[in-house]
Amino acid sequence: MIFRTTSFRTTPARTTRPALRKVRSTAALRPLRHRLDPAAVEEIPLRTSDGVLLGLTRVGTGHSDRPAVLVLHGHTASADMFLLPETRNLVDVLLDEGYEPWLLDWRGSCRLPYNETGRRYTYDDVALYDIPEAVCRIRQRIGDRPLFVIAHCIGSLSLSLSLTAGLVPGLAGVVSQGVFLTPKLAGRTSLRISVMGELLKSRIDYIPVDFRKVGLWSKYTPLFALASRGASCPDPTCQILHNSAWGSGASLFVHENLSEATHERLAELLGPAPLWILPHLRRIELARSVVRWHDTDHRYRALPPNALDAAGRIDTPVLLLAGSENGLWQDSQKLCHEVLAHRQPQLDVRYTEIPGYGHLDTFLGRGAALDVYGHILDFLGERR
Amino acid sequence: MRDLNDDPGRRAVAESIERGGGGLGVSELLAKVRAARGAGAVTGTGPGAGGGGGLGSGGLASEVPGPDAPAAEASGVEAPAADVPDQDPGPDAPAVDVPDQGPLGPDAPVPNAPFRHAPALDVAGLAVVIAAAAGRHLPAGHLAVDADFFDAGGTSVHAVELVAELEGEFGIEVDLDEVFADARPMTLARRWLPRLDPTHHRPDIAGSVPTRDGTLPDPASASVTTVPLPPTPLPASAENTAPASAPITALASAKGSALPIPAPRTPPAAPTGHEGPHTRARQEDLDRILADLALADRLPFADAPEPLPPRRLLLTGATGFLGSHMLLDLLRHSDAHVYCLVRADDEEAATARLGEQLRGYRLPWSSEVRRRVTVLPGDIRRPHLGLSDELWHRLAHELDSVVGVAAAVDFLRGYQSLRSSNVLGALTLAELAAAGRPKPLHHISSIAVFNEVGITSMGEDDPLAHVDRLISGYDQSKWAAEVALRRARDHGLVVTALRPGGIGGHTRTGAHNPLDLSSGLISAFGRFRTVPAFHCLNAAPVDWVSRVAVAAICEPDAWGFDYNLTGVPNTLDDVVRDMALGGMHVRVRDWDEWRTDTLARLDADPVPELAFLGRVLRNPTALKLVEATLKGPAAGGERTDALVAALGLPSAARYDARAQLKTFEKLADDGLARLPQKDDQPYLWFSETTEGTVGPVGAAAETPCSMALTLSIAGMYQLVKERRVDVTGEVSCTAIHPEPLTVERGDIWIRPEEGIPQQHGLRHQLLRYRLRLADADGGRWWLEGRKYARARRDLWRQTRALTVEIGREGEAASLLGEVVVPADSYVRDQIDGIKVDPRLTGQEKRAAKLTWLAWFGLEMGRGLVAPFARAAADLLDLRRTPTLSEHHR
Repeated sequence: MIFRTTSFRTTPARTTRPALRKVRSTAALRPLRHRLDPAAVEEIPLRTSDGVLLGLTRVGTGHSDRPAVLVLHGHTASADMFLLPETRNLVDVLLDEGYEPWLLDWRGSCRLPYNETGRRYTYDDVALYDIPEAVCRIRQRIGDRPLFVIAHCIGSLSLSLSLTAGLVPGLAGVVSQGVFLTPKLAGRTSLRISVMGELLKSRIDYIPVDFRKVGLWSKYTPLFALASRGASCPDPTCQILHNSAWGSGASLFVHENLSEATHERLAELLGPAPLWILPHLRRIELARSVVRWHDTDHRYRALPPNALDAAGRIDTPVLLLAGSENGLWQDSQKLCHEVLAHRQPQLDVRYTEIPGYGHLDTFLGRGAALDVYGHILDFLGERR
Repeated sequence: MRDLNDDPGRRAVAESIERGGGGLGVSELLAKVRAARGAGAVTGTGPGAGGGGGLGSGGLASEVPGPDAPAAEASGVEAPAADVPDQDPGPDAPAVDVPDQGPLGPDAPVPNAPFRHAPALDVAGLAVVIAAAAGRHLPAGHLAVDADFFDAGGTSVHAVELVAELEGEFGIEVDLDEVFADARPMTLARRWLPRLDPTHHRPDIAGSVPTRDGTLPDPASASVTTVPLPPTPLPASAENTAPASAPITALASAKGSALPIPAPRTPPAAPTGHEGPHTRARQEDLDRILADLALADRLPFADAPEPLPPRRLLLTGATGFLGSHMLLDLLRHSDAHVYCLVRADDEEAATARLGEQLRGYRLPWSSEVRRRVTVLPGDIRRPHLGLSDELWHRLAHELDSVVGVAAAVDFLRGYQSLRSSNVLGALTLAELAAAGRPKPLHHISSIAVFNEVGITSMGEDDPLAHVDRLISGYDQSKWAAEVALRRARDHGLVVTALRPGGIGGHTRTGAHNPLDLSSGLISAFGRFRTVPAFHCLNAAPVDWVSRVAVAAICEPDAWGFDYNLTGVPNTLDDVVRDMALGGMHVRVRDWDEWRTDTLARLDADPVPELAFLGRVLRNPTALKLVEATLKGPAAGGERTDALVAALGLPSAARYDARAQLKTFEKLADDGLARLPQKDDQPYLWFSETTEGTVGPVGAAAETPCSMALTLSIAGMYQLVKERRVDVTGEVSCTAIHPEPLTVERGDIWIRPEEGIPQQHGLRHQLLRYRLRLADADGGRWWLEGRKYARARRDLWRQTRALTVEIGREGEAASLLGEVVVPADSYVRDQIDGIKVDPRLTGQEKRAAKLTWLAWFGLEMGRGLVAPFARAAADLLDLRRTPTLSEHHR
């Protein structure tokens, strides 16, 4: 077993400085990278009722009558993915179209340390604490103004659990990208996640994406080597994301759709993926529907055991977006649209496929403003 | 859309035209003309009223204004000469030479020589009659006598109607193909008149050599001469700058007699005067081409452009199929602001038209697209693109790239009709590229420049076709444009020629050009299940063509070369195999046989959406184009491949069944193609019998219920896309009716909704049956059945047991129960008993059976494994999750 051999270092490299144990200070958010007026960007500290510090950012415009849009990133990404300075990004477009963007860094954000250190969580926590409490905080500020949510990947999956639990009622509309109530992975990806998770979970905590942080010779080396098989791009970070999606074998984006600058920044935009989240992810994926992890912990009883069965509680129009080349979640959104149209025909759910786009590039792609945001703006515009 | 085939009456008229039925005499015609033009005009057109020409022409110009300004101007200029035929050609009305035509637009032919010798009033009068008739078929409602019917907005359908009307009302027998070849009323009149009077001279086409507008210097016009040169062996190459008609005529005719020309395998068009069958271009077209080529010599000398990716570029043809995709790719893959030239009256209309076209091609048209696009109303056929001088000047200095995609793509129209869009338009863009700031011109040419029957190679740097062997006007116009722009290169202009072949539908969206030849051919292949024996199809999907073209535009080192954007050619074997894979087995036929058969089928069962294909297959010049396309060699694209590899673009892939699937679906949606359907002869079928019991809701299931069903598929498409099987047969259940019930409509979905359980749990859906039943008394019932996969060891039973609910139509279920396929009949019926379409060969049958079994087996396997995988995951989740072990925390 390659991971047992002593050839691979299981202790930190000598060059890695040990982190000082945090006694008085708490987790701090890495600063956002953007080209907005610093005065317009307001960071609002948000500590959830289970004691986790999150990041909530409001991009002010000086207008107090604009509809608010809460944007949720995917797991291991961060609010940075909506603020790319090198392209026309979602926040630019929302501001120009007269919205007030709010960015939540939920606990899976790579601006926060929880994926690597700190306490573990499941998506139940995100659905129960992070999203509802952020929505609550935003509502305190915006009052009766409409509030939309645009959610990507796991952000959207967790939002579906919050919505079906009735924890975020009265939204003006939800745009879900990549996956919503019916997550579906390719069989090969699913198998690799299961097997890899089981093999590695007692050896490593997370799968890094930045080769520069772990060094050439480490226990992660075989993972990077596996990810590089058949890759077309020589960048190890790109290989483990584009070619392997943290070792799962899926593809996170269409390579050609990223600008060079974004490609260079991938290690900053996407962080390491924790392995301890895999059991919940696996349970969800095998059930092909969003299911609660905690069956015996009554703190989570507000969440439905199966979000798809509780989809009738969704009280807001939903736009399901997906790239036609989504290598991770496949055609989950199309499936979700079919299933909801059949089982919950009363819901206002529509599906839009973005031709030629993968998963992450629907927001990170250099042409996302042209190909993707128009659909989002149309949807928001009809309901503002 | 109306079609000749839709209207037997009109077809009868057309046939009477073919038979050469007589009509009105000239005098009656002129009487009609008088009636049509009114008293004022009559004085100008009467046989003895030569002096009234000015009045007549004025009346004409005001009554029948052209579709656009230059055309109107042209009619105004030409009419005096036509109306005053007996005058000797003075300086104002040169017979052949055209040195002083400065104010004329590019479309404005000059007065013609024959009018000196013939009673040209007849010609003019006739032209007015034809123009008036043609005008009724146009959006503008009128047509100038020397404006092109198609350029003014006429369509092929309108042309068919016009021909019938001319014959029916006026007895003017104009051949439909003549109308396509040159649809200017004046030319039609000139062509028809000599048939009445055989002594009538043939019009000398050299007289209608065009001139450029005043914005270009005019050195070449001096070389156009009326003096017939001795028939010295001038090179008839494109670079010959002296478009002298006589020597070329002599040369061409000498060639025609010296070289053996293979007999055409396709029926020739109705003979038009002295012309032979369609193996050579018409002399008047060749003359015109040479004259047009000479226009390139008037371009100024240009400096080298700055080698930077474009920041501001002009794109023409953005409303077209390729242009619209290129617009989006330009925006995606560069930071450029794009100026789109769109034919419309004003900016608002132009913007609306662009948006509508983009949406039609399933492309985004959002505020994000609009903020990077400036729409300029204009027309590529007009001098300075129809832009104001100030705007033209500003563009010349601000733009850093010009991209010409606009072209009239019509395989029926002749060179005369297409040249203003395809050749003069390209030259106007070259003029813009050469003016002001130096900038490259990227020209979308076409593989049609090689479209000569019998050409042996089509590499990027191979010689183009012999222009006199290009028969169709489209091929000629694309050839002339590219050769003219080659000449422009000699003036220092950087010209990139991008030559797509067939442009197939988008691989992701299925957006296609419904009037494109390849759309029509693909649709006909699938619909009639036959293909002509072609060599290879040089076609690539629009997304790839557009992406590579844009890459060449954005990469300065790629500028200035010729690229074949033809992708990987599809051979006949590839196409036949792809279609067989989709369950659409086609048979190969000889080209002539295929054409006859396809036309017969289109006649017998008209498909309005494919009417254009019928017209192409009937038109002798278009046929040459199709024949050359089908029999040509594979196009080579080494330079394109190198560019693609160097820029890391998606390399060319064969446009195979998977890539075409979306397009085929959309073609079927649009009515061109046809997917296999429920009521077709099934592709594959087998029987299934089930036995079991049902009972009322809440009570024990004790009433016997059995089903004898036939499960069939019409093609593999429904399996892969819909995962659905068709069902027919009978259901016997005495609890419903003593007699067996017939299945009126039945479907089975395999792993419906990916097997997602209907309720939280481990009971995954394996199959779903939905039958609509009719009992002997006419009562309607529904039956809903499901097979479930569970994490239990009775797998064999899970695949056979069907839980059923039965109810009256529109009511809730009244009976519940379970029926099971008997174990002994399963293999016998559903594996050994599979039947395949008897029209297939043994090999095809075995392949079909194997494909079905493999697909179905795999789906059932996946369905059965799903609950076990979840149970296993639950067990694994019992493992203790170790505490964090990373040290650098």
